[in-house]
Amino acid sequence: MAAEVLRYVQAALADEAGCADAHAAALATLCDALAFTHPDVLLAAVDVAYFAARLPAFLAAGQNDLPVFAARAIAEAVDILPQWAAVFLQHGAVEALRDRLLAADNIELAEECLRALDEISQECPDECLRLGVAAAALHLFDFLSASKQKMALKIVTQLVQECDDADVPKAMEAAPALCNLLQSSDNSILGSALSCLGMLAADAHGKAEHMDRLCESKVVDTAMGLLDKDGWKILDDDTLPGILALLKHIASVSEKAVNSLFDLGVCDLLKQMITCYSCSPSGSDKLEMLVELLYQLMQPLGTSGQMNDTTEQNAHVDQLASIVTLITQVAKCGALSSVCYRCVVVIGNIVELSTPTFLVGLQKTANLSSFLTCMLARKNRHIVFQTLEVSKTLLKKHHQFFFESFTKEGVKHAIGTIQAQEKNRNSSERLKRKNNTQEWCMCFDLDLDSSSTDGCKIENNAILNLAEEIKKSFVVVKANKKSPHRFGCVIKFVRDFFARLNRHALTVLTQDPDLCKELSDISRKFLSDELPSTSTFAFAKSGSAKYLVDYLSNRAYLKSNLNNCEDLTEQLKEVQHRLQKFTHLALKVSNGSSVKPLGILVDKLLDALHMSYESFPVILSDHGQRTRESTMIPLRHSRTQESESLDIKFVKARREKVLRSYGGVLPVSLSSKPGEMEAILWPVICSKGNAQGSSRLMFSYKGTKLQPSATIFESLVRLMNAGQSDIVIDSSFWDEEYRISYNRNKSENIPSTSSCNTRLFAVQEKLEQSIVKDPFFCSLFLGKLPGDVDESDPSYDLLFTLKVLEGLNRFSYQLSMDQQICKFAEGYLQNLDDLKVTISPIPQHQFMSNLLTNKLELQMQERLFEDGLVPSWCVYLAETCPFLLSFSARWKYFCLTVHRSFMGDETSIPDGSSTPDEESAAPDEEEEESDAQNEASKKTRKHKVTRDNILESAASMMTKHGSSTKTIEVVFVGEVGTGRGPTFEFYSTVSHELQRLGIGMWRGDNNARKAGEAGFVRSSFGLFPQPWSSVGTSTRGIELSDVVKKFKLLGHVVARALLDGRILDIPLSKAFYKIMLGQELDIYDIPSFDPELGKTVLEFQALVKRKKFLEKSSEKTPNRNADLSYKNVRLEDLCLDFTLPGNPDYELVPGGSEKIVTLENLEEYVNLIVDATLKSGIVKQVEAFKSAVNEVFALKTLRMFDEEEMERILCGEQDSWASSKLEDHIEFEHGYDASSPPIKSFLEILREFEREDQRAFLQFTTGAPQLPLGGLASLDPKLTVVRKQCDGNIDNELPSVNTCRHFIKLPPYSSKEIMLMKLKYALAEGLGSFHLS
Amino acid sequence: MSSSSSFPGSRFPFAAGGAGAGASGGGAGGGGGGGSGSSVRPWGSSGGTSVSSSGKRIQKELLDLNASDCSAGPKGDNLYHWLSTIIGPQGSPYEGGIFFLDIVFPLDYPFKPPMVTFKTRIYHCNVDSIGAVSLEILKDGWSPALTISKVLLAIKGIITNPDPYNPLVESIARLYLTDRAKHDEIAAEWTLRFAR
Repeated sequence: MAAEVLRYVQAALADEAGCADAHAAALATLCDALAFTHPDVLLAAVDVAYFAARLPAFLAAGQNDLPVFAARAIAEAVDILPQWAAVFLQHGAVEALRDRLLAADNIELAEECLRALDEISQECPDECLRLGVAAAALHLFDFLSASKQKMALKIVTQLVQECDDADVPKAMEAAPALCNLLQSSDNSILGSALSCLGMLAADAHGKAEHMDRLCESKVVDTAMGLLDKDGWKILDDDTLPGILALLKHIASVSEKAVNSLFDLGVCDLLKQMITCYSCSPSGSDKLEMLVELLYQLMQPLGTSGQMNDTTEQNAHVDQLASIVTLITQVAKCGALSSVCYRCVVVIGNIVELSTPTFLVGLQKTANLSSFLTCMLARKNRHIVFQTLEVSKTLLKKHHQFFFESFTKEGVKHAIGTIQAQEKNRNSSERLKRKNNTQEWCMCFDLDLDSSSTDGCKIENNAILNLAEEIKKSFVVVKANKKSPHRFGCVIKFVRDFFARLNRHALTVLTQDPDLCKELSDISRKFLSDELPSTSTFAFAKSGSAKYLVDYLSNRAYLKSNLNNCEDLTEQLKEVQHRLQKFTHLALKVSNGSSVKPLGILVDKLLDALHMSYESFPVILSDHGQRTRESTMIPLRHSRTQESESLDIKFVKARREKVLRSYGGVLPVSLSSKPGEMEAILWPVICSKGNAQGSSRLMFSYKGTKLQPSATIFESLVRLMNAGQSDIVIDSSFWDEEYRISYNRNKSENIPSTSSCNTRLFAVQEKLEQSIVKDPFFCSLFLGKLPGDVDESDPSYDLLFTLKVLEGLNRFSYQLSMDQQICKFAEGYLQNLDDLKVTISPIPQHQFMSNLLTNKLELQMQERLFEDGLVPSWCVYLAETCPFLLSFSARWKYFCLTVHRSFMGDETSIPDGSSTPDEESAAPDEEEEESDAQNEASKKTRKHKVTRDNILESAASMMTKHGSSTKTIEVVFVGEVGTGRGPTFEFYSTVSHELQRLGIGMWRGDNNARKAGEAGFVRSSFGLFPQPWSSVGTSTRGIELSDVVKKFKLLGHVVARALLDGRILDIPLSKAFYKIMLGQELDIYDIPSFDPELGKTVLEFQALVKRKKFLEKSSEKTPNRNADLSYKNVRLEDLCLDFTLPGNPDYELVPGGSEKIVTLENLEEYVNLIVDATLKSGIVKQVEAFKSAVNEVFALKTLRMFDEEEMERILCGEQDSWASSKLEDHIEFEHGYDASSPPIKSFLEILREFEREDQRAFLQFTTGAPQLPLGGLASLDPKLTVVRKQCDGNIDNELPSVNTCRHFIKLPPYSSKEIMLMKLKYALAEGLGSFHLS
Repeated sequence: MSSSSSFPGSRFPFAAGGAGAGASGGGAGGGGGGGSGSSVRPWGSSGGTSVSSSGKRIQKELLDLNASDCSAGPKGDNLYHWLSTIIGPQGSPYEGGIFFLDIVFPLDYPFKPPMVTFKTRIYHCNVDSIGAVSLEILKDGWSPALTISKVLLAIKGIITNPDPYNPLVESIARLYLTDRAKHDEIAAEWTLRFAR
């Protein structure tokens, strides 16, 4: 049948004289026939050559519809039988199509032509390109429909892709049009245009004349225009790399392009971008691209001859040099070797291009030598090799100067070390080169035209030879001139300083103003003047850190055992005394500088820590697969796939006589430590049931003992990859079976410090001050960091010192106040009003190490991190030195590891099937998600809660299901809303209810006097539990047991909110967060939640101390009573009795309300108040809270955060609204975009909102009054504004929301005023129910 | 800040001067009976047998006050709510005026300062239109060593010598500094109008 139709068409067309209408009708029939006929039939029935000859003619000459049908027919034909493309090509179809496109008389026709060209160009791209289709396809671009625009770009892409060298000029014809497209607002068009240009650039690679052609079409300007003025921030993740790649390609060839890039200020732009991406964990790939671009920028500078047009070139080098400081920082903190390598190469290039005098300046601003030392400490051979090259060049340029600075900054030392290592390596490990293949070579990454990528450029001996060569040049200089060796001076100075500090430690500071001045003078000289100019190398080598902590710990550090120290209390006092003194010195701002000495010291310590790069090895399972979405943190451990494990064969050690042998092979999970294996092995291999030691077995692999603190997996990996810093695990690693031998642990290694430990705890118990109970103080006191750490590691001293200094900084208020009180007691301060602390701590973030944070981030991107591929240093840092890691890194770490500390979970059952009793727990109260979304229902569970009785309802729900591993979602009884919105609303409502007046939970409850204020406890310093006397169990109708229950609920809610990523709206005090984090509170914490009481109690405390002091030396001061009045009032006259201030029912002692406070019993009074306020009065409430959290997960896992961070986690960002750009984080859809007038007024309204309005708005749109961590930007899903379709009068409509998807449906109101009115109305009415939607 | 409205008249008689055991308060019902839980409980309501720490202190101050020339005392039978009168100092524009002050003692008095508000309108840069007083010793400068008589003395002090550099009402302070005569004139007029 089809054949007949075709014959008819052929006949109709053959009629040359036939009218156009007849031809058109025939062609239309042809099109239909082509579209619906089977290809085989067509092949048989159609004479292709005939059509191929006729159709172009129609196309070229026809009028009206004729060309359209002709073009469509061609498209259909080639679509159905691609082999015909060549035939049409032969008969000039392409030319005809092209001409029609260029003629631009009819859009419909143009679109049909495009379609046809698309089909043909798929088959014969080269020919089409030669015929100039590329430029033609883009000719009418702006007039095409969106789908045809994409088609046009597709054609160009097909043509440009891998075209022959000869055709490049033709391809270049499309470049101007493509450049125009870069200004498009459509991301997909932008993306395709970019990729086309990128391909063009790649095609033109190596041919400057083509490239210049590309440049003429202003590609550089347009691309820069996209990036400029923070434009790069809004580009998406595909576009930005596209632009960078394009620029890189162009820059690599065209000198002209490079010049114009410099003229457009590319350096400043790069600086901004590098700064941004070096801080963000997911920015490493972009960082790599940026540094590569930098590299390419310098390429033409190098090739364009050394001496000609120097002025311009110098200007460019100047610009580049301004980036050097940034690049050195990036490299120093970079965890990825590839980034570091690129940085070194870039710096090498800059060095190569610069003049000696310029380099001298650069050394002063960017400290190149220190950077080189840092890089030489890396184990990566490529980095080391490149760094050596740079060193060599520097020496060549300005030998004298750089020799000196190399000596000072330790480059010389590092080169010596490398030389020795290399020699060793060459002699001993010549045969065992297998490992090296795992390090993939980076040498070629930067060279675009490299053809061979296998094999490493660096030969075995290259590093050694280079090192020796540099070494030799050192010797030459030494013979010539003895340079002043400052290194010795530094060491002498450090020793001197601490010797003097030690001498002064014995004298009482306050007694002798001269001594005091001398001390502060030498400390200023050392800390403020000397330290900043000391090189990190000299600082590290001089052992300053060691001396410092030795001084602070009163010799405990270097002796490292306290057995001979009999009087612990004395020692404790001495350590505290030294801490006080040093705090004063380190935090006082010396005149003329704004930097605190402690800040300088910490910077130096961190710098030194960054040199011990290899102490924190990142272990990755395989290269490439490091793609964890940074925003998607799985809070639950998904058990979808089998977790990796190792097969280990446990064998008895040869000498072991007592134990039996264990035959089998055990699968060992990645997170297992030797202790866990022991628990499994022991029952089997133990012959007698004796030996109740703590660690009964010793494991070893190939003769090396396994560390008990590291996982078996980590020990194995590190043993197999000895000598490497960062480890990439071979895929073959998983298949092998390992033999680990065990024997009995003979050495009874009860640590010598343990007896001291117990005594310390006994002493601590008696002391009131919280500082002595803080981990930092314990470490300092014992002279040892907690846990099993390698004390010989170079990083140990630094970690210890940093930990001590961080503690000192944190407790600076306590230490300083204590000192002030002592001064008052001893009479150096006369007036109680002078009892003030004048120093302030340095910001906590100064203790953060970028390098370690980056390393942890890198490690956390590892796929197996959740399964237990957690190197022991990660655990150690998170537990012992969390301050070194950034908050976001710690939060991610918490999320990834918290599942291991779940209390009520079923992780002991490996397959994770939920236990039956939970399923049938209370079927009437809850309903499982319907079967359709079974994926989600596995993770979440819905619970019904009544709004009227929310606290009780919540308490019963939490008690039953609080410890479930599933995410809890809430549905309010009698309301239709489900999902995230009501759940968020639930958490904020519960947290509001827990702040009501008259429930006895918080301080200030019984003192509230403003009835009208909605009945909530208001406290500007945050909520802190109200003390309850242990005697009475009810006051004013409130039962203590009810209060305890509410704290239990609070604990549950806090734990669930943390786990499920919900937000609470409850202003807890910092002191309460401290309790949550397991810190001890003392008298110095009272001012943080009750300033008036705290101040008075501290003044009383000072008075007590003075009385004690005077009693000790009573003969010296005859007039006792005058000195011991409280601000000239006798204590009796204050009329205080032994009840808790503000709580007359709380008697501090039995019959306390009759007992008046006098000078004699003031000490008792102060101690009792402190105890009641912080300990005994709130112990029941706090215990209830803690145990409730512990039911869900171990509270102690939170200890890596501090109280401010806990607040951020629990209560969300406080003021993210004001600081963030609203339009960046709100999306507009369905009829709106950022420029629609209603949106403009909407954004204006939002910006003008007060804090309360903001809260109401957030509550309305998201269900929670506060934004999650990270503010608007991290709202997921994003806040989206859509146009509300309304009929009738728009201005009568109300906005509505979908809280689950964070949609707000906004009618396009006629004015801003009306919008504001309607919004406010909706905010006021929409709260408290989910009926509106 | 108008706190008087939130204090329902207490049912318990005030035993003036009854130091220590003299509390016949019969407060077994307790302050919880206040309904909203908002009102300051009358002293001695806790057990009916003893006076709380702050209560003792306030009673002592009351005794001491009677010896001095200040006139202040409990308003009705609530020991924690006082009324005081200050006579406009001679030679000041406030001369001849009688100013009523409302004094509320917090439960944790003397650890927290009393709250003092003017009940009589006064044209003064340190007193705003609802009667709040800005005085350092009523805020951060408070100490349990201070007493209500010292506070009243300090208030008399600022009536005589306003502190225009830490004002509560900016406009009055500006006028005080620029046109003292005009300021005094208005102050005298207000005194005549409101404080007689």
